[in-house]
Amino acid sequence: MFRYWQRRFKTGVLTENPQLDERLSDLRKRLKKGIAKHFAGSLAIRMVDSGSCNACEAECNALSNPYYDLERLGIRFVASPRHADVMLLSGVLTFNMLPHVLDAWEQIPEPKWCITLGDCPVLQSPIERTFAVKGPAGEHLPVAYHIPGCPPSPEAILEGLVGFLESMED
Amino acid sequence: MNENKKRLIARFAVDRGDRFEILTRFEGETIQRERIEHQEAKAPSLMPRYPAAVWFERKIMEDFGIRFEGAFDTRPLLHHERWPEGVHPMRRDFDPDTVLEEAPYRPYRYATVGGEGVFEVAVGPIHAGIIEPGHFHFSQAGEDMLHQEVRHFYKYRGIEKSCEGKSLTEAAPIVARISGNESVAAQIALARIAERASDTQTPTPQRARQALLLELERIIHHWTDLGFIPNDAGFAAALAYASARAEEARRLMAALTGHRFGFDAIFSGTEDWDKATINAWIERNFEAIEWFESWITDIPSLWDRMDTTGILKRAEALRYGCVGVMARASGLERDVRMSDPFYTERGFAAALEESGDVAARFKIRIAEIKASLELMRRFAEEAEAEPYRIAEPRDGAYDAFVESSLGELYLYMELEAGKITRLFFRDPSFVNWQALPTLMPGNIIADFPLINKSCDLSYAGNDL
Ligand code: SF4
Repeated sequence: MFRYWQRRFKTGVLTENPQLDERLSDLRKRLKKGIAKHFAGSLAIRMVDSGSCNACEAECNALSNPYYDLERLGIRFVASPRHADVMLLSGVLTFNMLPHVLDAWEQIPEPKWCITLGDCPVLQSPIERTFAVKGPAGEHLPVAYHIPGCPPSPEAILEGLVGFLESMED
Repeated sequence: MNENKKRLIARFAVDRGDRFEILTRFEGETIQRERIEHQEAKAPSLMPRYPAAVWFERKIMEDFGIRFEGAFDTRPLLHHERWPEGVHPMRRDFDPDTVLEEAPYRPYRYATVGGEGVFEVAVGPIHAGIIEPGHFHFSQAGEDMLHQEVRHFYKYRGIEKSCEGKSLTEAAPIVARISGNESVAAQIALARIAERASDTQTPTPQRARQALLLELERIIHHWTDLGFIPNDAGFAAALAYASARAEEARRLMAALTGHRFGFDAIFSGTEDWDKATINAWIERNFEAIEWFESWITDIPSLWDRMDTTGILKRAEALRYGCVGVMARASGLERDVRMSDPFYTERGFAAALEESGDVAARFKIRIAEIKASLELMRRFAEEAEAEPYRIAEPRDGAYDAFVESSLGELYLYMELEAGKITRLFFRDPSFVNWQALPTLMPGNIIADFPLINKSCDLSYAGNDL
């Protein structure tokens, strides 16, 4: 462990891409503000994959890497839907997942919001609606906001969350 | 255990209108074809001899309604509790746009172990955390896992069917999105098929471009795991470090292809590559993996958790025909790159470990990042930023193997008048998932996430 801290102090804070960092810092400010206003400083998200290619999950996981460091903004990905404010839904809604997705949704206490993540749940990605896909998420759930992309980059997800917060009524 | 028994790579069927054909691919052989009458749709089962045949044949049963004589497991695989009975979507006369209505709930019978004090633990399909859905069913004696059943196909999207009737160019964006963490590999498999179907050969600079992106995809995958595996053993500092390296690798992928996962990158993008950027990144990453290795090797509490945990025995790896990191960590030199002169001529040698435990799979990933960086150095010299153009294909049946970040990926296609009439995709995970339960006995359930992560298999690629 000693080696780790040695390196940590030698390296200091790294910036790889100044423009991106600037955009991110603006997004962070707006996110923090929105979360403070609407969610008392802490937003709990339950991510549910209803049939993705796994890239949308990878980008959500990337939000926790040191470049984006989502947790310090008060956003947490929670394990239980009962702790969640928001269900973030990725992937096409498959025949086999639909009942489980609806179960998870039911378990989230009111007030709750469903946000669709990526082009799949709204059937805009190249993955087609087939016999095994139960149509766009909006047919089964009250979708409050959509974050487009295939997959949306971590930056686009942050932007989307800001957009969602700013779309909420006062 | 007979070491010389052939390895079963894939078994699947095709509907020829007036009959079915079951195709079986063993290692080192050409495809075997069995003709099956529509009326009397049954064939002898391979399950008793090849454990990996279990999922292949259960899938064929549902896809086509073919029965297997001597099959000891005929439970539904893709068609879950609410699937309407008697629907066989891969039959020719089944319309892919059919809207299926939910049928009355039919419970699934899990394979469990009985006995006094033995209880069952059901995990999933939705897991705690940002992970893909799947179900794991454990039979427990206290903490000890006696038995596990892996039940998947929650993400079954009907992709094989949806590619039928499409040209290679039309199917390419779908194939790129079967499994996000092996998109480049799947695209290259499609490119290999396109190449064979048009009697062309990809010029070296273009192949080097594809191969460079494939190694970069592998590096992203391995860095991600090198963070998550220690994290599942409670060592979060590794995740912070490794996930930052994975992010940098993703940004290089975006710089080279315009997409952080390289989606569609094999067939599009023309911008010149800045070789100086690539080379500088390679050297930085080399330094990073060497530092990471020396650091992590020194954390005894972590190795305590990883050593002797979740052992895949070499004999089991052989029996199931495991591929990828799982096979190589159990002493089997299985790597598509080893049978491809394009790699061996450039000095590639597969990494190998013997102990088959979490530690071995972890070490393989470190070794493979180094090997991939070496390859990238070579490919960067030779590559030109020229995407692959799909030419008009000849009718016929073609297949291709690519070593994806998860192992040997197999793609099979039949083409008629420029359109796909059958696409079969066998993800490396389709075989490895079936062997996963053999890793559990002797371990406690608290180590399951660690064991599972060390294998890091794809749900999306498996379920399709
Ligand atoms: S939107 Fe794109 S990246 Fe996300 S799950 Fe669908 S195919 Fe994958």
